[in-house]
Amino acid sequence: MPGDEAALVQAARRGDREAFGTLVSRHARSIVSVTTRMLGPGADAEDVAQDTFVAAFRALPGFRLDSKFSTWLYRIAINKCTDSLRARRPEVQSLDDDGRDDDSRAPIEPATEETPDWELERVELAWELDKAIEALPRLYRESFVLRHIEDLGYDEMSAILGVHRDTLKMRVYKARMLLCRSLAHLGGVR
Amino acid sequence: MKEEHDMTDSEQLVQRFVDQELSAEERLQFVARLGRDEALRQRAMDLERLVLDVRRLPRPEVPAGFTARVLERTEPRRSMWRRLAETLWAPRALEWNLASAAAAACLVVFAFGAAIAGALSWQRSAPQPGTVSASAAGAPVLVRLVVLQPGARTVQAAGDFNGWNPHRTPLEQVSNGAWMVTIPLEPGRYEYMFVVDGQQWIADPFALEQSEDGFGSRNAVLEVRAPSESRS
Repeated sequence: MPGDEAALVQAARRGDREAFGTLVSRHARSIVSVTTRMLGPGADAEDVAQDTFVAAFRALPGFRLDSKFSTWLYRIAINKCTDSLRARRPEVQSLDDDGRDDDSRAPIEPATEETPDWELERVELAWELDKAIEALPRLYRESFVLRHIEDLGYDEMSAILGVHRDTLKMRVYKARMLLCRSLAHLGGVR
Repeated sequence: MKEEHDMTDSEQLVQRFVDQELSAEERLQFVARLGRDEALRQRAMDLERLVLDVRRLPRPEVPAGFTARVLERTEPRRSMWRRLAETLWAPRALEWNLASAAAAACLVVFAFGAAIAGALSWQRSAPQPGTVSASAAGAPVLVRLVVLQPGARTVQAAGDFNGWNPHRTPLEQVSNGAWMVTIPLEPGRYEYMFVVDGQQWIADPFALEQSEDGFGSRNAVLEVRAPSESRS
């Protein structure tokens, strides 16, 4: 943990809310990113991101300073996302199922006449890719998001998820394969 | 769930390539194998393209007022009587006397002194401008840089050899997704990166060595040896 981060965590543990506010501002982007990719964009993702920080603040006295604060936050965020997904509906699909979710997401911004073709393709690809990631089975999705969106290594992912790195590699591999298959119809666009 | 050792040899190789886990020797073998095995090449390009597309996804914005809302939820709850007592007993007038003014002045002088000391120590610790080293002796060696970027519209190289100006070294697309440039370099050690579509800076996945750039990314490292050194 960087020196100033350790000092901020120490201060926050003593109840210094200003120090905790600095930690929230520093890590909000990563946590909102994870909750949004796990739950889809919308109020749920923000609520769960907030819940993550509130839970972290309350659990700070038990936080071990020898581990990374961000790793600990990611772990809380993933657990909160899992709780939220379980509360939504039971996950009935199998791990190999690439079943898509419904299209209840924000619409693509309307194109204007000035929008260049490549920009349209980029927006369409981002839309399809978002949808495909959201449709991944939860265990594959969380591994893929941490590996390729948060750019974490397998050792840190293992510390966050409590799963052996070989198992995580397998999940990321499966996720990549499912995504390649889901996006195959975009061959021309990509 | 299938374990990693159940993957075929090719699958394992491609996955480890995408995860940048191949050793230098394995990478050389992998590149050679890509040239022979079209299916493997296609698989590698699909996965590289997927990883690149994911990196380009816009990161969700943090909603305005997010930190304030979190802090509000962590505020300790106070009873109604306590809030009332605090309102009743809160000071209403600003008291001022010579002693408190002197204390405030001391604080200002101390803060000013600390700021000056901080600035001086920052100046002392700031890196001095680098000196340009003399170029290594020896004739230029032709070096070929190759990268797989199937979805890219442009690919450029930036590094020690061109003053980190990507416009000076554009790569050409030689086949579907493969980009290449050949540049003459004098023997020496060079750090470089590829720039995809003018904005995405990536390290060369085929590089035999990488080093931290000090900004949280990694540069590829290229060691150019004189032909006589290579033979020895």
